[in-house]
Amino acid sequence: MKELVEYIAMSLVDDPSQVKVTEITEGSSTTLELIVAPEDMGRVIGKNGRVANAIRTLVRVVAAKQGQRANLDIL
Amino acid sequence: MSETRSVETTASDIEAAIELGLEKLGVSRESVIVEILEEPTRGLLGLGARQARIRLTTAAPPRPVPPIIQAAAITEPVEADDFEEEAEDEEAPASEVVMPTPASEDELDDDAQVGVATLQELLAKMHIDARVVVYRSTAEDNEEVPWVLQIQGRDLGVLIGRRGETLAALQYITRLIASRDLQRRANIVLDVEGYKTRREQMLQRLAHRMADQAVQLGRTVTLEPMPPYERRIVHLTLRDHPNVTTQSVGEGEHRKVTIVPRR
Repeated sequence: MKELVEYIAMSLVDDPSQVKVTEITEGSSTTLELIVAPEDMGRVIGKNGRVANAIRTLVRVVAAKQGQRANLDIL
Repeated sequence: MSETRSVETTASDIEAAIELGLEKLGVSRESVIVEILEEPTRGLLGLGARQARIRLTTAAPPRPVPPIIQAAAITEPVEADDFEEEAEDEEAPASEVVMPTPASEDELDDDAQVGVATLQELLAKMHIDARVVVYRSTAEDNEEVPWVLQIQGRDLGVLIGRRGETLAALQYITRLIASRDLQRRANIVLDVEGYKTRREQMLQRLAHRMADQAVQLGRTVTLEPMPPYERRIVHLTLRDHPNVTTQSVGEGEHRKVTIVPRR
């Protein structure tokens, strides 16, 4: 899951060196925290959160395969 | 020719009626089209209450899609000749000929290659074992014919999701990354095991059937809520229909097409 979020974020931002993803798993629930440069926030969130929601949808597919529930927070 | 099955069910609300129908057919939500035959009404003090009545129709079996380029083999630009060869070998039924349009400009090949590379990277990171084949769309009403990146493999239902939601997300992200790479809009669309093609044919048949019904009954027929892409197919299908007009009503997730008989 982490690699997926990293790949998408790094492909979309202007400053890939500042992309950081941490994966925190507690039982069957995983939280992914995505950090990008402040100037790049808009790129990973999108209008009305469209990009963020699409990333969440894809992350959940991966999580479901592993019997996990996943959430993505953009910090 | 197509092995579609359908059932009609009634229940207190539409969701319950759909559940019932899915159980009867023994299929999942993604593989059926729902027609709302009658909207439920509460009535007044139990008088005049009406149950929801719906019809479920299963999808036709997948139509083989002509593989033009094995994505794994995309290392050099696609030659226009490859497409013509395929088109000649193709023995599609007369009614639904899939004729890939030969590539004419080099920049279109960039779209296909960057698109496939991006999609494969995404699928790998999602731990999904699938092949990607590429061909030119046969859409007629589009001056800029897109590449179709067709994802093939086993158990890919997860990539489609409820009402195609996951496929839409995957397409959105793939296009976004590819467009950034190309520094212009990537002219690509995604499909999973011919899902969109099948869905489109189902929606066209549904649209015609419901239009007939609207004319026969002399009243407005409402379809189930659909995503924008699917509503567009219904509108386009009935655009030149002599006896009905179509209109979308409702907001967001609940937006649905209504078919109105012309007076």
